[in-house]
Amino acid sequence: MTRLYAVALNTFKETIRDRILGVIVVFALLMIVASLWLGSISLGQEARMMKDFGLVAVSLFGLIVAVFVGASLLHKEIEKRTVFVILSKPVGRAQFIFAKFLGLAVTLACVLAGMGLFLFLADWIVARSPAPLLLAATAAIYLQLLVIVAVTMALSTVTSTILACVLGITVFAAGQLSRSALSLTELGQSAAVKGLAWLVYVAIPNLNAVDIKPAVVGESSPDWALIAAWAGYLGAYTVLALVVASWLFSRKEF
Amino acid sequence: MRRVMVIVVVLVCLAAVVGFQATREVNAAGNPRVFVPSPRFFEKLAPSFRTTIADAYWLGAVQYYGEHVDGDRRLDSLPAMLDLVTTLSPHFIEPYLFSTFALVDAGTPQMAYDLLRRGFKANPRDWRLPFQLGFMAYTFGPKETKARAAAQWFTIAGKLPGSPPFVPRLAANLLARGGEREKAALMWGQIYAQGDKYVRAKAVAGLEAILPTEEQARIKALAPLYRTMPRKDFDALVEDLVAGSTQ
Repeated sequence: MTRLYAVALNTFKETIRDRILGVIVVFALLMIVASLWLGSISLGQEARMMKDFGLVAVSLFGLIVAVFVGASLLHKEIEKRTVFVILSKPVGRAQFIFAKFLGLAVTLACVLAGMGLFLFLADWIVARSPAPLLLAATAAIYLQLLVIVAVTMALSTVTSTILACVLGITVFAAGQLSRSALSLTELGQSAAVKGLAWLVYVAIPNLNAVDIKPAVVGESSPDWALIAAWAGYLGAYTVLALVVASWLFSRKEF
Repeated sequence: MRRVMVIVVVLVCLAAVVGFQATREVNAAGNPRVFVPSPRFFEKLAPSFRTTIADAYWLGAVQYYGEHVDGDRRLDSLPAMLDLVTTLSPHFIEPYLFSTFALVDAGTPQMAYDLLRRGFKANPRDWRLPFQLGFMAYTFGPKETKARAAAQWFTIAGKLPGSPPFVPRLAANLLARGGEREKAALMWGQIYAQGDKYVRAKAVAGLEAILPTEEQARIKALAPLYRTMPRKDFDALVEDLVAGSTQ
């Protein structure tokens, strides 16, 4: 447990040293400029625009951090040869992967908490009333990104950093379309196509299921019990992706 | 020498880039026919981002309207844009209200009316939608029925939370104008019962305009109010009417 904590803490410090938190500053500046600009062109709908575009920005900035840092995490250790030092200690490869993931998960939590809080406050000023759902929506985005981090880390054990980044972004995009794959199973003529579409539907993480962006702008009322169930599903998916990453990493030869 | 050459090339290119861009006519209206995808496309492609796409098209629709309404007055793609926005985000009220005048400018008042009806179906607690529907019905409806149709919408709007107090009065006036004197009298009675001194004076004036002058007929016309109003308010109304007729 101490070893896990030590590697995780080191990963957290390492990513913070990479000026990842600068993302929050860029986000804050973007939100300030956007609120001034949107106020003048949205016919008095600046609060709604800020909520909607703000959450998309949180999602995209978070995705950039999750994918780019997640994909380079293991490669950096291998390139710098620090992985040999760590693995020569009594640290298993699976432990190493889980600890790396935990470290990045904490960094991502800091980045998203910063952006989410700033968005919440900025919206409070513009709308003159607080919207706590914004914080819940940010937490939902965090859950989605944890899956992406785990998947990207698994992919980075077998591919290059760039390819892992591209694939990580692809999985994020596919995760938004998960339900479309389900529609394909209904449309398919042959059993093989239906079976393939069903396989794709099951294999792709259903990121859309925990999304509450539409609820933030009053388009739906969130079913918290269902969202909690889907959050559990995403948690299980993350663990599965990490197990696969550990297995792939354990077979890797340096 | 080489350094000077590089600086000259950079300056020339910079002047060309900035100069060309700065001298373009920025206020020229764009093409009035813009490709607007089907709402179903976005519903399937990006369900998580449907409200964001609706917002982006809302901003686009406002800019498009502003760009063309003062220029070529061609708003060919505005109906499709507003349909997309309201389909992707049915609880976003502003586009429905915007359509009241923007789609009239686009030459499609019927679509504005249909869009408002769709909006009211999705948001039955928002008084602004039936109010705008009443406005549309009165402005564009057939001459014989427009007052009655508008009055019906204003009556609905007047019963919804947040509606201003003048809406039921507007409905009562239009009911009377549409020939529904009995309904108008009932409505004035309700307005009187719920109103303050100012509103009561308006209700008395409204009733005076539709009640017959002959005493027996007047009493007969007031009978339905006796059945629907609280006794105390009815007595006060009769007193006000008598005081008004003796002045």
